[in-house]
Amino acid sequence: MSALSLVVAVALNCAPAGHPFVAEVYYDAPGDDTGQEFVELWNDSDSSRVLTGLRLQAGDGAGPGRWTTKWTGGPGDAVKPHSRFVIGGSAVSPRPDVVLTLDLQNGPDGLRLLWPDGATEVVGWGALEFAEYYCGAPAPDVPGGQSLARIPDRASTGSNAGDFHPAEPSPGLANQRSVDATLLRHRSALEPEQPSPGGSATLEVMLVNAGATAWGVDDAALRVTSELLGAPVSLNAPAVAPGETTRVSIPLATLREGRGAFAASVHLVGDEANANDADTLLARVGAGPLEISEIQFHPAAAEGEWVEVRNTSHAPLALEGFELGDHAGAGGSIEAGPPLAADSLAVLAQDPTALRMAYPALDASRLRRVSPWAALNNSDDATGLADQVVLAETDGVPVDRVGYSASGIAAGVTLERAGDTWRPSPTAGGTPLAPPRPVGPVAGGFRADPRRVRTDGETVNFAWELPWGAAKVTLELYDMEGHRQRRLAGPVDSGVHGERPVTLDALAPGLYLAVLRAESADGTFTRVTPLRVDGTRP
Amino acid sequence: MRRVLAALLLARAAAAQDFSGASPAGSTRAPDGLLDRALPPATATITAAASQTRWWGLPDLETRSVAVGGSFHSWRAALGLSQTGEPELGWTSLGLGFGAASERAGAGLRACARRDRDAPWSVAHALTTGDGVEAGAGAWIMAGDAVRAWASAPQVWTSGASPPLMRPLELGIRIGDVDAAWVRLVAPRAGDDGERALGVALHVAPLQVWAEARDAPLRGSVGLSAAVAVLRVAARIDAHPVLGETVRLSLAWARERRSHP
Repeated sequence: MSALSLVVAVALNCAPAGHPFVAEVYYDAPGDDTGQEFVELWNDSDSSRVLTGLRLQAGDGAGPGRWTTKWTGGPGDAVKPHSRFVIGGSAVSPRPDVVLTLDLQNGPDGLRLLWPDGATEVVGWGALEFAEYYCGAPAPDVPGGQSLARIPDRASTGSNAGDFHPAEPSPGLANQRSVDATLLRHRSALEPEQPSPGGSATLEVMLVNAGATAWGVDDAALRVTSELLGAPVSLNAPAVAPGETTRVSIPLATLREGRGAFAASVHLVGDEANANDADTLLARVGAGPLEISEIQFHPAAAEGEWVEVRNTSHAPLALEGFELGDHAGAGGSIEAGPPLAADSLAVLAQDPTALRMAYPALDASRLRRVSPWAALNNSDDATGLADQVVLAETDGVPVDRVGYSASGIAAGVTLERAGDTWRPSPTAGGTPLAPPRPVGPVAGGFRADPRRVRTDGETVNFAWELPWGAAKVTLELYDMEGHRQRRLAGPVDSGVHGERPVTLDALAPGLYLAVLRAESADGTFTRVTPLRVDGTRP
Repeated sequence: MRRVLAALLLARAAAAQDFSGASPAGSTRAPDGLLDRALPPATATITAAASQTRWWGLPDLETRSVAVGGSFHSWRAALGLSQTGEPELGWTSLGLGFGAASERAGAGLRACARRDRDAPWSVAHALTTGDGVEAGAGAWIMAGDAVRAWASAPQVWTSGASPPLMRPLELGIRIGDVDAAWVRLVAPRAGDDGERALGVALHVAPLQVWAEARDAPLRGSVGLSAAVAVLRVAARIDAHPVLGETVRLSLAWARERRSHP
């Protein structure tokens, strides 16, 4: 290196030469930070470094000059050659060299080292306003559970932003190991989310080569254990280049019914950090103890949205042990109340008070508020679905998930579970806390009830019985002369039996012909029934 | 006789309801033409007719009608009674037609009153309000020896309960006598852009066959009639791509009277 290059490098270095420097800062642990924060210093030289007189200060980035000394090196404090020195809380593992409560701010804030010879090093994170709290540019503010680590360990770009990056906390260890296979935590997923008992599923894990050394095919192995498996599952991990992340699918077969945890781990010979080798996913095989039985996602009046659930277990259930939400996840807490008896229905409501005003006969003990309520969408997106209703236990174990389409469903009409399928409820406003009304045989294959209505927006319930188990159904209206007047509904999926309430708005009086057109892979099915609309034309 | 037969078989629209016979579009045949479309017959006849229509294959939507017609000099008159549908949906209609016609032109008025069948008949029921009444007018003229144009507006005025089908103005022209072709235009209604139709008729004594194609949606009608002495039997089928078929049958007795100038 030329003399000029050395001068430039030193000038650009945030850490003073000849001193240990900051290697890692952990300031935002999940939940309460107390006892979990730490600052790691690294002596990268070939000789021990004395820390006597060194001051570690925390900076409050909210204003200038707000530095607080958290620790001062004592006479015996020193760092061995190529070793790390950790100053941290009592909950840090392995035990820090100095145990104290740092009480670092979560950003935008900083810390600095003040050496007795006047040298300083500043590390700042977050959107800092004052230059005294960072060097070059502040490092990114990391999410809770991750540390701010110097990567690579000797990074010296002249900027906190270039030197420090989010990482899994590794007190006392190199930030970038030579050999390190990692599973990203909380990133594992099961597909399908709730597999059937005895069936199979795929566990997807995120595998990272966090080391500086590439590994090849068969060098690393993945292993999954669970009480939901008959035996542990192992397979060779794919080759991953340093710094790269890859998704690995692990097939799981012959799953056992119940709730449990899939513990995935990666095993690599020479792995220098074992603490980041595993991830755990709470999961369920088979049906949960609660099932979603009816969904009101667009109430016609002001009763608010609601979801009806059924206790399918054989024992009372405490509903506060569950959470409800939409496609973004189950995040709404259910208010506490009496346990729900086996095989009973309960309604989880956005506004129980308003719902009781609309349905005064509802049993209040089985009506629970959910907060916050995730507003359910009323129109389909590009996937053909409007939203999902997600029910989970409070620890995240899935219970039930129902995706629905809002296409062709009039305001006020609920979706209800009928066996293994979902259908619009034929009962106006739905049937909260009551089972669906059974659909009987339909003479002639198609029926309108009533067959005679007035023009002022009455609702007609159309029912049909198809010769196939699955078809796309469309309802249309023609006049006596055969001119098509309007599409009433569809195309919608239907089983053998189906019903659809339709409100006839803005329809001129007269005699009409309601037409059912069903299409399936086996053919088409058309039925016609007359419909009289009374009234006087203006 | 040939002229009488032509008058009997002149085209007639498919739009009829209560007094639709089984003849094709534009017919001035007595008594259906006068009752249904206000088009009086050119010749002086005394007629009696009965017909049955099953709409779109629906057994609970049938129309049964009887009608009589007569003439005095150039004046024409007809009276009809029909019943459509089951009591829950249906109605009973009383129709009256009146007009005047010569061999070259004719004009008429029609009226129809309907009462629902949803309650047993009684005097009290008959006197209650709720009837639907409609009235309309029509006319035709011979533009040449074998060119006939007509216009029919069967619902110029309505009152009370709305009719089961709105029937707008219809214009038509027919070329030919018993072997003929015609075109028909129906004015737009709310929600559509009208209707257009083309038809042809062939006569092979004693049979008359005809066919008509219409749009919105594309569909067609075929008919067959036979006239022997004073009796006439006719059948007609309207086919629709979605609704299926409407079948009409009619039986008529017609006796021509000498027309007075």
